[in-house]
Amino acid sequence: MVLRSESAVAVPARPLSRARFRIKEGTAFGWMMAALPLLFLVAFVGYPFVYGIWLSLENRSVARPAVFVGLGNFIADARDPVFWQVVRNTFVYTIVATVLKAGGGLALALVMNQNFRGKNLVRAMVLLPFIVPTVLSTIAWMWILDPAFSVLNWFLVHLGERPPGPSWLGNPYLAMGSVIFVNTWRGLPFYAITLLAGLQTIPGDLYDAATIDGAGSWHRFRYVTLPLLQPVILIVTMFSVIFTFSDFQLVYVLTRGGPANATHLFATYSFDIAMSAGQLGRGASVALAMLPALALVIAALTLYMRRRRW
Amino acid sequence: MANRDMVGATSSRRDFLRVAAAGALGTVVGVPAARAAPTTLTFLHDSSFIRDFDAYFQNQLAPRYLKETGTKIDYELTSVGTLQTRVSAIIETGSGADVLLNNFNWPFLYDEKYVDVSDIAEEIGKAQGGWYDAAKEAVVVNGKWKAIPFGNIGQLMNYRIDWFHEVGYDKFPDTWEELLEAGIKLNEKGHPFGFELGHGFGDNHGWIYPLMWSFGAHEVEADGTTVVVDSDEMARAVDFARTFFQKTTLEDCLGWNDASNNKAYLSQQISCTNNAESILWVAKRDFPEIAAVTGQTLNPKGPTGKRFHILLPWSHSVFTGATDIAAAKEFLRWLMQPQQLEGWYASAESYYAPYLHGYDNAKFWTAEPRNLPYRESLATSHLPGWPAPVSRPQAEVIAKYVIIDMFAKACGGANTKEVMKTAQAQVKQIYGQPA
Repeated sequence: MVLRSESAVAVPARPLSRARFRIKEGTAFGWMMAALPLLFLVAFVGYPFVYGIWLSLENRSVARPAVFVGLGNFIADARDPVFWQVVRNTFVYTIVATVLKAGGGLALALVMNQNFRGKNLVRAMVLLPFIVPTVLSTIAWMWILDPAFSVLNWFLVHLGERPPGPSWLGNPYLAMGSVIFVNTWRGLPFYAITLLAGLQTIPGDLYDAATIDGAGSWHRFRYVTLPLLQPVILIVTMFSVIFTFSDFQLVYVLTRGGPANATHLFATYSFDIAMSAGQLGRGASVALAMLPALALVIAALTLYMRRRRW
Repeated sequence: MANRDMVGATSSRRDFLRVAAAGALGTVVGVPAARAAPTTLTFLHDSSFIRDFDAYFQNQLAPRYLKETGTKIDYELTSVGTLQTRVSAIIETGSGADVLLNNFNWPFLYDEKYVDVSDIAEEIGKAQGGWYDAAKEAVVVNGKWKAIPFGNIGQLMNYRIDWFHEVGYDKFPDTWEELLEAGIKLNEKGHPFGFELGHGFGDNHGWIYPLMWSFGAHEVEADGTTVVVDSDEMARAVDFARTFFQKTTLEDCLGWNDASNNKAYLSQQISCTNNAESILWVAKRDFPEIAAVTGQTLNPKGPTGKRFHILLPWSHSVFTGATDIAAAKEFLRWLMQPQQLEGWYASAESYYAPYLHGYDNAKFWTAEPRNLPYRESLATSHLPGWPAPVSRPQAEVIAKYVIIDMFAKACGGANTKEVMKTAQAQVKQIYGQPA
């Protein structure tokens, strides 16, 4: 700690503008190195993003010329009752799944951080749901959640439930619960492995010092693990919120937004409007409607991290 | 008008400059004025449920066309359910395929990018017994044939003959009311019905729209503007559907997709569903004991005394961005000749019911008499949204499952007036009318 402080004093931090200026003065090689990723970002992120915004401001059907309508598509969205159901669904889906993934992922990471036989095998196995392509694993879940073939229903019926057992994808509440569960199952390894990596950077002597000071396991977790893991938790949560908020494949394969729109999210609803109905402008406006919420999450986390100087 | 179609209806100054520049370049470098026929044409298709169908094209028709004309046909297949995304991308980017397969109402959605093929349609119709009216409903846009109809994937009643017999029915009930009575008895015996009410592609529309029409209800009048979801006829249809669902059908149907009812029927979980010929086709191959007791028949009649069926057409269009429109049209003309069609239809038995009367007595119909109702159903089949003309707002109503969800909510227990009011408001909003 002392060394780090001294080094910080010995090399005064440069103002940001000065740092940027240094790049300007740099070699052509430096520019070449920066140009490729920049070009990539502009071509594959910037252009589609700006084009998406532009589309959302047009009455634009497939195969037909566009007419600029300003905020007309967003106004139409606001008057659409299904759109508001989609907003509710997306928030419920994201919040519940993120909380479950964060809690479960942290618990799993803490377990995997212990020393036990077969530790490495368990760590590799935990990654499986994340490695298998979403569409494939979701199809497997489709069978698991189909009352006719469901292993869950088989158990429940044998425990006394009336055949064929719960309708996991036919009942609106169970359907939302099911897609949240499958999302959690799939996203948990991302949390677990990333948090495990974070846990392994915490020096062991901090735990030793805390133990000598009389801290029990809860206090070691509360006052050593959690504060040092917080930056990683925040970063993982930010990514997870973005991925979950804009989820498409899982819901599209399992329910296509049904029953009666109970599981429609921004991405699936936008797809139906843009592709099945051919209304590209309207579809883009629904997809872009998720932008403010995501931008808020990203901005809040970025500000928080800056304030904490991580 | 033909020339206009040849260059695409939405030609711009930029297109003109591009053509002019290419022409000028050709003159400079000495390209011959007459362009040679293309060596390859891309024919975009959905993967068929029946593998033999795609195999027949790849192994028989494509080599035959290559031999006869020297043009290779690149038969590009998309996985089931992804064709529309691919077609949209091709239309937006202006390249990717020469001849495209359409489902449902696509010739109306993409008509400006499809070449007028009325000449081929008239020629084929005249030579092969004439077209069914349903064919015209599927592809004629503003008086022009924007696609050549290929076949209808009918959605009819599939049922267990033995189980219906057990509860006293020697033949399938003729009306929805009688089917409800039979369903109650079958459900009590542990043989519920399974009718899809989720967000699938076809099996949900396959029974909800015909049921609604047979009660005299529809969402928009034939004038294409008057929204009539909130009507007495619709209320009766919704009330009936709720009773029918709650007394005869598995709850899980609310979340089903198009594969669910096939799985449920073949696992002997349900006694009746609405489906294409695929259930019987698979049963004959993998479950002969189920195939032996499976019947297929027309949809029941409603209180109007009429029965209806959904029109689920496959048709082929020539893309205005084709590498050579004339060559693509020539291929389509060749494809629709009896020498090609008979074998191709037969490879799928009668899964794609021809829209040409010339095939009414074809061998593939008599090979499996249980498939004959699929031919009969063509006379009473309509696109979802009928009797209103196909339009973009109508396509949006279908894409948003407004009607399907109205029935699904009612079947889930919601109040008839409320679901109709919501659906009426949604349809009006989509059609740009005040609520």
